Amino acid sequence: MDASLLKTLGLLDCIIIQRVNTNEFEVLYMSNNWATELLPEAVGIFTFSEDSSPYLLDFLIDAKNLWNSEKDGKIDSGIWSEQLPSQLIRLEATAFYKNKNQFLQINKIDTSYEEKQKTLQIARELMFSADKISEQHEYLHAKMDELLSGPTQTFFLKQQISQALEQTDLGVAILTPELQIVNSNPALKALFTDSNIKINIPEDRLVIELFRTQYPECERIFSTGSTWSGELYWLNPPRHGKWLKMTIHPIMSANQVIQYWILSVSDITQIKFLLKRNEKLVHFDAVTDLPNRQFFWKKLEEKVNQSLPFCLLYCDIKNFKRINELYGHQIGDQAIKELASRLNSITQGDDLLARIGGTEFAVIMNLKEGSPSQSIKYQEQCSKFAEELINSCRIPFYPAPGQKCEIGLNVGAAVFPLDSSNAEELMKYADLAVYSAKKQKSQSSIQFYSKQLIEASRKRIEMEDALRVAIKNQEFEIFLQPILDLSTNKIVKAEALIRWRQKGHALVSPEEFIPLAEQTGLIIPIGKWVISEAFRLLAQLNKQGESISIAINLSPRQISDRQLFEFIQSNVDEYKINAQKVEFELTEGVLIDNYEKVHLLLEQIHELGMKVSIDDFGTGYSSLSYLQKLRIDHLKIDRAFIKELTESSKEGDFALILAIISMAKSLNLGVIAEGVETQVQRNFLVTNNCNVAQGYLFSPPLPFIDFCQLLKGNS
Amino acid sequence: MMQKKVCLLGASGVGKTSLIKQYVEGIFSEKYLTSIGVKIDKKQVETKSGQVKLMIWDIEGIDRYCGFQPKYLRGASAYIIVSDQTRSQSLLEGVEIQKMIKEVTDIPGLLAINKSDLPEAWHWSQKELEDIQSGYEKTFHTSAKTGENVENMFTHLAQIIAE
Repeated sequence: MDASLLKTLGLLDCIIIQRVNTNEFEVLYMSNNWATELLPEAVGIFTFSEDSSPYLLDFLIDAKNLWNSEKDGKIDSGIWSEQLPSQLIRLEATAFYKNKNQFLQINKIDTSYEEKQKTLQIARELMFSADKISEQHEYLHAKMDELLSGPTQTFFLKQQISQALEQTDLGVAILTPELQIVNSNPALKALFTDSNIKINIPEDRLVIELFRTQYPECERIFSTGSTWSGELYWLNPPRHGKWLKMTIHPIMSANQVIQYWILSVSDITQIKFLLKRNEKLVHFDAVTDLPNRQFFWKKLEEKVNQSLPFCLLYCDIKNFKRINELYGHQIGDQAIKELASRLNSITQGDDLLARIGGTEFAVIMNLKEGSPSQSIKYQEQCSKFAEELINSCRIPFYPAPGQKCEIGLNVGAAVFPLDSSNAEELMKYADLAVYSAKKQKSQSSIQFYSKQLIEASRKRIEMEDALRVAIKNQEFEIFLQPILDLSTNKIVKAEALIRWRQKGHALVSPEEFIPLAEQTGLIIPIGKWVISEAFRLLAQLNKQGESISIAINLSPRQISDRQLFEFIQSNVDEYKINAQKVEFELTEGVLIDNYEKVHLLLEQIHELGMKVSIDDFGTGYSSLSYLQKLRIDHLKIDRAFIKELTESSKEGDFALILAIISMAKSLNLGVIAEGVETQVQRNFLVTNNCNVAQGYLFSPPLPFIDFCQLLKGNS
Repeated sequence: MMQKKVCLLGASGVGKTSLIKQYVEGIFSEKYLTSIGVKIDKKQVETKSGQVKLMIWDIEGIDRYCGFQPKYLRGASAYIIVSDQTRSQSLLEGVEIQKMIKEVTDIPGLLAINKSDLPEAWHWSQKELEDIQSGYEKTFHTSAKTGENVENMFTHLAQIIAE
């Protein structure tokens, strides 16, 4: 086609230049007006003047690199704007190398710029509004946590709460654990004020009803004391309905008992209206480009009506909040994008992957037909698929140069029609299953919905209730296990170990209740009790003239407790103990996961004179750099390695123990062996210069009185 | 005359384009119009070391729709990170952007806490703000609307790079 025709049709609004020499160029084609204003020097063979567009001159550096590489290819400049004497224009340039020819094409892209700007304008305005609302909700909850979690409500505090409620634009209600109203603000009332309609129930009840009817997760959120945030729709005929963003957040007491629920609501109808102006944004998630929750629901209901078997998988990203806290939301979004793309690459054919929440994805996975009684086959297909989803996350994510993060995925699954033939129930069951998967200790896991799951969940809730009672009634006891210096056979330390003597029952093993306490946060009050009680026992031992030290375990959740150090310090003062006789034990995982917090805590407790041991050493991440960076005094060799030491042990069986001993010595750290049960093990340790040990060979953990008697005998 | 490239970066919607428009043309518009790509404005500044011609690169806001492009910093003598005191997150995003800048260059940077004409709507403690500000040569509380500190900031920037 003739260039002049293309030009007349407005299809060639560009400049095409060929590079003829290192710094010389020839104009092949040039649009009218703007082109001559942009490059007045571009006549015949020319060189770019120093006064040319600075953006273009900068792009020429990249272009020359491409041309000089003498390989076929092209690069784009990205969009830029140029203010010419007569007009503001939008441009984008491309440099080509093709068949030894070097070209530069500069396109005027005013129309496509305007279109892109329109879309981005809406998307960004939406983003600002949504971010601002989320920020307000988060701030309010943090403030309420601070004001309401204390044991007593003074007049001053009540005044502060009222002020906080008045100052916020959000509609807020403070509810009792049974969801009865305690306080609310005028903004909540204003959200539902409508001259046409009289609302027959209080606003807080209305919001909870909307939540109950629109989200199958509702029941689980309340029964497990979880935080939830999402959108509700209030149909308000004959007017147009209202879209609301609602966040519900439990306020826990120091004993991890729900004291209040904070309900915050804001009107997001305007945001939804903006969304409607861009159809793509109505059904698709802006970050990942995947279908969103609304689209997913529509498809799920269609799928149920088709009556073909499928599996609904509910995927939740593990500890994603931490990634956002560590690297910021930008990097967080990049990681989500990358994750979405990995998950998407696994789905097949008609499977549907959607982003249904901030950290939640859902998949409708089509199952190969078979009799519904072949439930195992269905589960096998689904398990295999879920494993693939989980495996896709095992490779670390690099959301930005130099930023590496690891993402775990929990997957809950429910099968149609085996588990239910109702979309709402399927979502509810898959949500319950993923909640159960979250409770697994491993990095990622899959859980199918089952009746046993409900039973296990019921048992868990019962145990949790019993633990709360135990904290209230002080049903715990400290047992002490002696730690000996093998060179003198003297007890030099004791490890404080908790036992639960449930009323009317035998002792409950710590293996049974500590993981649950860790998951529910009850470990914070329990851990505090252990510290306090251990200090009391230490004070008593000192009174009896015994000068041994006491070792106390700190759990990952305790480390995150901001008040931990203050608590330790105040208890040292209360029991007037010698802080040098206290040692805290942490596992390797704690060091890695909470490096910053641990670093600060270890510095603080060292200043008090206390010591630190790494428990179960050798079983965790074994990233050794922290041994040099952190203030650590001892390594405790895990019992699993000691167990390997028998009369028939070969050299390879104890190589690791020798390596740990040798490494500890060279880093000037003490070594303690755990789980010593035989004379062979004892002899091996003594021969290899590990002179401090604990285990059943010497004594099991003992009640305090028995331990005191043992001490007397030992001395 | 010395010619120096400076870059304005920050999250989207913090007012980068408005700050430049106020500085170069003395104009402010209430309407938010999102920028795409780059626009370069020029302005001559008188410094103690003589006249400097600033080439001010207004770079599209960095967010989920537009990533950080290190190539835009090539040849730059300084940068300004703009945050919006009505949006808490914008300061954190500024911290992230500064981290990325520091990976490619060690040129000096200023922090502009913009929209000072509007009520502050973030809840950073004094200590947190001080920690963040310590990474910059200087912080300016600016308003593209009233012009508060806009001239001061660019003059200070020109002074730093002219020395």
